[in-house]
Amino acid sequence: MRLTAKSSQAVVWLLALTPGLLALLFLNPSDFSSPGAVLNLLGRLTGIWGMALLLVAAGLCCRVPGFDRPFGGLTKLWQLHHRLGAVAFLLLLLHPLLLAFSAASISLPAAVQTLFSDRSAVIWGWVALLALMIFMAPSFSFFGEAEYQRWKFVHRLAGVTVVLGLVHTLLLSRTLPGAWGPVIWGLWAAAALFAISYRWVFSRWRGRQPYRLVAIDRPARNVVELSLEPRAAALRYDPGQFVYLTPTDPQLSAGRGEEHPYTLSSAPGERLLRIAIKDLGDASRALQTLTLDTEVRIEGPYGRFFPSPEAPPEPELWIAGGIGITPFLSRLRHCARTGEALNAHLIYCVQDETRVLFGEELRQLEAQLPESRITLHYFYREGPLEREFIERACSDAAQRFAYLCGPLPLIDRARGQLQGLGVPRARIVTEEFVLL
Amino acid sequence: MKKTVFAAFVAFWSSVGTMLALFALAPAATLAEGETEYTLEEVAEHASLEDCWMAIKGKVYDFTDYVPQHPAPPPVLEPWCGCEATEGMTTKGYGRDHSPAAWESMEAYQVGVLSEAEGPE
Repeated sequence: MRLTAKSSQAVVWLLALTPGLLALLFLNPSDFSSPGAVLNLLGRLTGIWGMALLLVAAGLCCRVPGFDRPFGGLTKLWQLHHRLGAVAFLLLLLHPLLLAFSAASISLPAAVQTLFSDRSAVIWGWVALLALMIFMAPSFSFFGEAEYQRWKFVHRLAGVTVVLGLVHTLLLSRTLPGAWGPVIWGLWAAAALFAISYRWVFSRWRGRQPYRLVAIDRPARNVVELSLEPRAAALRYDPGQFVYLTPTDPQLSAGRGEEHPYTLSSAPGERLLRIAIKDLGDASRALQTLTLDTEVRIEGPYGRFFPSPEAPPEPELWIAGGIGITPFLSRLRHCARTGEALNAHLIYCVQDETRVLFGEELRQLEAQLPESRITLHYFYREGPLEREFIERACSDAAQRFAYLCGPLPLIDRARGQLQGLGVPRARIVTEEFVLL
Repeated sequence: MKKTVFAAFVAFWSSVGTMLALFALAPAATLAEGETEYTLEEVAEHASLEDCWMAIKGKVYDFTDYVPQHPAPPPVLEPWCGCEATEGMTTKGYGRDHSPAAWESMEAYQVGVLSEAEGPE
């Protein structure tokens, strides 16, 4: 059975909510005997749910290739991870406050002692909560936007808070009676630990495949297309998927040993793996100067942009912006190579004629694919993408399945215009370039 | 979402700060003078769930009205009625202390103190 993105998300939320729902079975009338008792119950439940959501969010960070597909790609899986983490954070902030407010029904000193006592469980709880605040601060931009690598490093430490939180939970847990507490927390923690160790240990030694850089093309002044030859097993992937690339070139000025996500531009059947990279930051700028014959490491593939080849074919409308052409290029190259039928209309949005990437090759591919068309949209001439432009270029746009890839402002713009044309949200698939 | 979380973060520290400020500013509770003294024999006369007294850390409590509200069911409390129950309070029978809130909530049920000569402390 194929899981849809919605049902996969529902399964994850259910897993996260299970410990708290189980706790509801063990409530007794004294939990509702007074406002103070109800606050105390809510305080305990927010603790259980916060901890469980945190464990499940940690579990989602494993990034096993293929695991992201039922969720509609890694970006969607990360968004789910963000939502779980944010809700967990809110619940965990409420947890000590509700318990203190509950004790305030006895007296103010009782409330303050609930928050600040020298019992080890309470101290562990504070250590975990403060650590969570520190490690999550860059994720929520508490003190401004964080730099990517620093954010990534600090965010990894959030795993530590999960362990601290578990110590606190196991010292105190009374809402899940008897063996239920240790069993439930043990299972959830084991799943999270497995996921974290996959990411930190296994993927580092076995998940990253070595490739050798054998050719460099320059489709524009600030774009390179790297051709990579596998030194071990070659990656199996679909058009539109992306990989994490880690360069090892000692000459690199920045980003050596750092992994960053890039979309594959080659067709899956090609012997060489091709990746087109635009200079968008320190690491991608340094990659423009990568030396031939050096080694890079590739982990993936991730993402699910295009429909699976088994799905019944439907006419497609593609909207690409700038370097966002890469997944479409991969698909066009693939269909031209294999002779697979493709009914797609590509609207390629760029600033002006000099910014068209792979222009010559795109024209050749269009000529080889009789049912597909390519229209260029120049911002300097047309202004922002309008629905009238889309309709003029592709008269049956509203009946097509839409795929958008490019910078966020263009995606937002195109999505709005397509919805104005009557394309339902469920028929618009997007691939954003965001922090991953 | 980021704004919501940041607002919650600020609200959290404001609430903790408010609670601490109120605690620091509120006048300390005065201790009652001339408390009634009881011996352990007198406490032992109230050894049923219908009339349940306990001596804990030198103080004497009448928990009769509290028994139905206790989170653990009444039979758990029954053996401690009429007894020196500090151990029950500090271990819950399985090595875990009651919460500070629980300790604090006992005050409402105090009826006196244990005679000087007796009691563990």
